Amino acid sequence: MARALPRPGVLGLILLLVLVAVFPYLYTWPFFDAFLDPFRTFQVTRFGLWLIILLGLNLLTGYSGQISLGHAALVAVGAYVAAVLMSQGFMGHDVPIAVAVLAAGLFTGALGFALGAPALRLSGPYLAIATLAMIIALPQILKLETVSFAGQQLHVNIARWTGGVQGLLLDRPKPPESLKDLVTERQWLYYEVMVPAVIMTAMAWNLTRSRIGRAFVALRDTEVGAEHMGVNLALYKMTAFALSGLYAGVGGGLFAYNEAFISPDSFEIIKSITMVVAIVLGGLASITGTVFGALFMAFQNEIVDALSGLIRRIPSLSALEGYIPTTASDFEKLRGAAYSIPLIIFIIFAPGGVAGLIRQVGNSAPTWWQQWRLRVTGWASVVRLTRRRVEPGADAAVEERQDPEEETRH
Amino acid sequence: MSQLIQTVATGLSMGSVYAVVALAIVLIYRSTGVMNFAQGEMAMFSTFIGWSMIVYFSAWSLPLDMNYWLPFLLAVVVAALLGAGVERVVLRPVEEAPVLNSVIVTLGLFTLFNAVAIWRYGGIAKPFPSPTFFQGSALSVGPVVISRLNIGVFSMSVLIMLLLYLFLNYTKLGLAMRAAAENRMACRMVGIPAGRMLTLGWAFSAAVGAMAGMLVAPIVFLSPNMMFATLIFAFAAAVLGGLQSLPGAIVGGLLLGIIQNMAGTYIGSEIDITSAFFVIVLVLLVRPTGLLGRRVVRRV
Repeated sequence: MARALPRPGVLGLILLLVLVAVFPYLYTWPFFDAFLDPFRTFQVTRFGLWLIILLGLNLLTGYSGQISLGHAALVAVGAYVAAVLMSQGFMGHDVPIAVAVLAAGLFTGALGFALGAPALRLSGPYLAIATLAMIIALPQILKLETVSFAGQQLHVNIARWTGGVQGLLLDRPKPPESLKDLVTERQWLYYEVMVPAVIMTAMAWNLTRSRIGRAFVALRDTEVGAEHMGVNLALYKMTAFALSGLYAGVGGGLFAYNEAFISPDSFEIIKSITMVVAIVLGGLASITGTVFGALFMAFQNEIVDALSGLIRRIPSLSALEGYIPTTASDFEKLRGAAYSIPLIIFIIFAPGGVAGLIRQVGNSAPTWWQQWRLRVTGWASVVRLTRRRVEPGADAAVEERQDPEEETRH
Repeated sequence: MSQLIQTVATGLSMGSVYAVVALAIVLIYRSTGVMNFAQGEMAMFSTFIGWSMIVYFSAWSLPLDMNYWLPFLLAVVVAALLGAGVERVVLRPVEEAPVLNSVIVTLGLFTLFNAVAIWRYGGIAKPFPSPTFFQGSALSVGPVVISRLNIGVFSMSVLIMLLLYLFLNYTKLGLAMRAAAENRMACRMVGIPAGRMLTLGWAFSAAVGAMAGMLVAPIVFLSPNMMFATLIFAFAAAVLGGLQSLPGAIVGGLLLGIIQNMAGTYIGSEIDITSAFFVIVLVLLVRPTGLLGRRVVRRV
């Protein structure tokens, strides 16, 4: 049966894609120029980078339940592979950016697959510490020149490739000659990041609704149960690591291209941990949640600024000066608190992250809205068949809900 | 040979601090399954409180180094109250949620304590006093030279471990705490208030952490970031020993201190942390639940 109009969900998605496609030019249009400027383009580019990186982490931690505190190490490997290829070429040939990023993704994916093997034996906090070891060891390995072992000097010159402490400086990203008049540097960068970001989001979306995604969820919820259902635990765990490595590698390669400079200090432990915070804040095992997590990572500084600005508005008691923060410099020092107090409160009251919050609001919306939503998404007939009759006064929670999004939740 | 003994001795001193912080981590992990990332920052904050009290007390001349030990004890009490408060106010509400949520809350506490310490005390590193017994020239035992500070830190850590061992094994309260960590439901049935034991566990853990903080402060200097490296190593030590086991935390901590020092001496200081973590990952691959950890059989 042919449809006259695409369903609202699809329509919204198309609108969003169009918005993403024209975003870097919006600030030149009337009306939009009032609140957009080229810097926003740069910020959204950063968001795209984080989206790719966090999608990989959410596939691994959210869907497959393997906690990784060393995701930044994989990102770093991808960034270095791409940077070395772009700055030094491969066997005397220049490597174009697309090839370099793809190579970084594949290399890191393969590395992730290999790292998945030891992870087969570890779980929970043990896995967390083993992955933390990667990010802790990484700066020392990147700076390595010689190692003396039992009195002998061994030359393991990794620093020759990575530039050691100084890091690697790349050429500033430039649009190709033929497009020079059409796009500025920033706009070019935006498309270089956003095109892979959109493709990889779509890939993750499909992946989580496929055989592989279901297997991930199954092995997260119960390993023994999944094995009995015919899920090859070893293969799927290593696949989860390989996929997260692929995303991290592509994200890292684009990161190197975007920043045009990387050094061992670009990838800190705390950043690795903040990534886990971001996916929990956004919502584990949810693509929508990952988008919010990426927003959090990209706009962290702006969020903290806004929050500390809010706190400053609260009239302070001058009698308590010295005991409570009152001056501007006090608030500058308390930036960390402006971010952690809302974080704690949010986690307490919204354990499912932003995605969980949205789902909750959707579920408790008035019936007319629910019915309309079910009808337009084509689920009404399914619900009518499966919904149990709820007696007046009975607990509403007993009511069976049929929601395609809910399947991925445990 | 003497270089080996020297390396091991120095390693033992640093390792004993890792062991104490690892003990604090294991105390909480056993009862709640939460790895407390705020452990180090809570210890750092209590150390700052201890420091300001030592500065206050130094005006009086008290016998027996009491203008160090009195503030030391007071800071430990304050830390215990802080720990209990943190458990009640922010961790109790996320008890029912997935464990990762509790971990995120402790990460939030980490940033919070760090920010408050920077605001109250500033980011510049300060010297932290040590009792007169720990000061003075280094002692030489045969060919080995060990600083008094190292000996002091080691003996204090051993004392803390011994007290904790006696408390948990030979007092009614200690046994009740262990029971609550083991099986909360059964605990309630025999009349032990499991929730209160949990709070008490946090209090003890924070107190032990504060003692560790005041022990390392003379070595690493007092600053808001002083506990971060120690915390990472303590986590590794706790995991190495098998997160469930208190003796495991001690063994893991001491081993880690020795490995780190030996790698620094024999392989090169540019790769000491890498080698220490390499050893940990190797050990975990052979024994996935740590050296002294039990294998947990899970049901479907």
